[in-house]
Amino acid sequence: MENKKRFDIGKIISDNVAWFVLLILVIFFGIFSENFFSFRNIMNLLSQNAYLLIAATGITFVMMSSGMDLSVGYVMSTIGIIGAKLLMDAGMPTILVIVIMIALTILIELLNTFLSIKLNLSLLVVTIATMTIFQGATYIISESKTITNLPDSFKYLGQKYLFDSIPVAVIIMIVLFLIMNFVLNKTYFGRYVYALGGNPEAARLAGININKMRYMIAVIEGLFIGIAVVLLIGRLGSAVSTVGVGTEFSVMTGIFLGGVSIRGGEGKLSGVFAGILCIALLTNGMQLAGINIYYQYVVRGLILLAAIGYDVYQLNRRNNMKKKKLEETREAKRA
Amino acid sequence: MSILKVENLTKRYPGVVALDNVNFEIGPGEIRGLIGENGAGKSTIIKSIAGAIPFDEGRLIIDGREYTSIAPTEAIQRGISVIYQEFNLIPSMTVAENIFLGERIGGRFRVDFREMNRRAEEIFSRFGVEIDPGAQVGSLSTAQMQLVEIAKAISKDVKVLFMDEPSASLSVSETEVMFEIVRALKKDGLAIVYVSHRLEELFELCDSVTVMRDGHTIETRKIEALDRPGLIRLMVGRELNETYPERSPASAEVVLELKNVYGNGDVGISLQLHKGEILGLGGLVGCGRTELAKMIYGAVPIDKGEMLLFGQPVHLTSPADAIEKGIGLIPEDRKTEGVFIDFPIDWNVVIQCLRKISGKGVVNISAMDEISKRYISEMNIATPSAHQLVKNLSGGNQQKVVVAKVLATQTKVIIFDEPTRGIDVGAKQEIYRLMNDLTKQGISILMISSDMEELLGMSDRIVVLNEGAVAGELTKAEFSQIAVMELASSH
Repeated sequence: MENKKRFDIGKIISDNVAWFVLLILVIFFGIFSENFFSFRNIMNLLSQNAYLLIAATGITFVMMSSGMDLSVGYVMSTIGIIGAKLLMDAGMPTILVIVIMIALTILIELLNTFLSIKLNLSLLVVTIATMTIFQGATYIISESKTITNLPDSFKYLGQKYLFDSIPVAVIIMIVLFLIMNFVLNKTYFGRYVYALGGNPEAARLAGININKMRYMIAVIEGLFIGIAVVLLIGRLGSAVSTVGVGTEFSVMTGIFLGGVSIRGGEGKLSGVFAGILCIALLTNGMQLAGINIYYQYVVRGLILLAAIGYDVYQLNRRNNMKKKKLEETREAKRA
Repeated sequence: MSILKVENLTKRYPGVVALDNVNFEIGPGEIRGLIGENGAGKSTIIKSIAGAIPFDEGRLIIDGREYTSIAPTEAIQRGISVIYQEFNLIPSMTVAENIFLGERIGGRFRVDFREMNRRAEEIFSRFGVEIDPGAQVGSLSTAQMQLVEIAKAISKDVKVLFMDEPSASLSVSETEVMFEIVRALKKDGLAIVYVSHRLEELFELCDSVTVMRDGHTIETRKIEALDRPGLIRLMVGRELNETYPERSPASAEVVLELKNVYGNGDVGISLQLHKGEILGLGGLVGCGRTELAKMIYGAVPIDKGEMLLFGQPVHLTSPADAIEKGIGLIPEDRKTEGVFIDFPIDWNVVIQCLRKISGKGVVNISAMDEISKRYISEMNIATPSAHQLVKNLSGGNQQKVVVAKVLATQTKVIIFDEPTRGIDVGAKQEIYRLMNDLTKQGISILMISSDMEELLGMSDRIVVLNEGAVAGELTKAEFSQIAVMELASSH
């Protein structure tokens, strides 16, 4: 009954798939794109995708606890439009608008979770419905118009550079990521998120308040998606009814690629970081190569399938190994 | 002095009384064996005491405090700890994290992993066990996981420790290690309730044994006052009063044969099923019967060994394959696996033979009518029409619909997994008569049953499984409750 500790290259790769994929992508683009390794290009890439990574950080908490939120894209659009309207039509001060935007997003995510708990439905099913509601809401509120010329004070977070070189959005992203990495790995709350996703019954029997946990996770998700919208429309300088659409799938693909299990309870935030960067690089690369947007969808879908498929393949392999082990024990006893 | 007292505990599920006025008492420093057949109520009583499920009546007195209901957290605080049969571990977390799940080690928000690992190490070293507290639980062996469960249970301030079949997946030497730990805990003054079907273990480990049967606690005796046959008699000592149809001897023709079959957790299964025979499969929960049925039905592949149907080797790749070759399954869970409960009878009866009755892909409604009406009259399904929804039928009639569905595909071999579970007494007789008629028509039946009476009453022969292997075979002349239980609880 002793633990074997050995250097297992296969395990290292399978635990860090996203980092290896990222490495390959970086090498690939480094060779084929001239200015890829320039500081400016890298900063550009990060700043364009800061909102994606921030949204992913919050959504990781949901997916880690084995929930899935499909409403993210249209919630982001709706919040973006509301924010733009408050700025342009109501003339509210920037700070106040940002606070309202984030608070509203948190409220919406709390509502999603509330419905999921009270109706005893999975978050996935609830958010299929709320996704459609917000899809309507965003068109109604925006009247299908683009709201442009957002004030400079609002664009600051999305567009400005610190010391003329590092985008503010990237700094926010890194700070938030580090904080949440700490929360997930070092605090009770973070560890309970793993417990909740890994085995909710064990968590309940250990005295963890599962519903309270789910509401807290909803608050975190809302907070991060709220911040993501602020940065996204701040960078664009305008808001349309489709501004956040598709974010949920990009983020999910990145998260799965990053090693978070579809059953929850497994994965690392650092993996998600790499996973999201992979998606960002691929999107960027495909755009540069002039690949038709519809082909890009096809590629992204294939990646999502591959990431989930790999996850399920590993689960099946583990289950089979367990059964083999049981058979061996029984066979030994029979002899 | 008792540390835990259970008074008149009653727990009802729809249609069954799982616990009926159960009384139980244990004092510190005592190891109590808790045994009983399948469904005797062992797991239910444990879950009720631990607050994992609510009980309906009665009270618990834990360390002097009285409870008429209890939450999991309360039970933990009062020193009740359970190691469930199914592991309650989180594979992606470390050993130490699992042990101290729900407990705060460290500051207000931050977990102190070093302290946590140190305390885990401390627990393990007390028992001379070497497990790395920082290892992921998912990477451990089953035996190590069991030890983690024990460590998790005793990491709290435990007074009463329940262990539900803890040795089920352990090897002999691993079981010895666990026994040493249990004895050490007893010395520390813990009360330990040890559930096991391995009688030898009880004699080796326990001070006393409580026997449960059909939701009652039958008797508690000192272990010295018991021997193996006596214990088995207490477990099975129920009167047999159901009557069963007269069986005519089966033919010598072998219809289905397994030769040293491995897979799905089963090891080296060999058996023969004759034409027109009912072969009973006995054994305790988890002994591998349903797992075997799944392999015979093609739902799970056979890893090694041979399966012969009418003397020809067959390799089934799917249930569709099995149906095609004449094997049918009446699943254990009728409502979710046996029928489409929200659909009509005729729809259900033909669902497995739709292809055969639908020439070019369009369902032949008149054939569907004819087949379903034929079975409704042949099997006496009590219904106003063939269009009645199955959910409006009684349990017995629902089961007949399942059988009709299987028969409609020209089946030669039928696996009945718990043929009369959840069916009332009168309807049971009808199902038994139906099974008898089927065998007269030359159909062979493999019957899995946890109902001892049914197993003895209906079978022509019984094969008893134990831990995934064949423990023995009984001919009709050798049938007795004691003989079955002997085989099921050997090792």
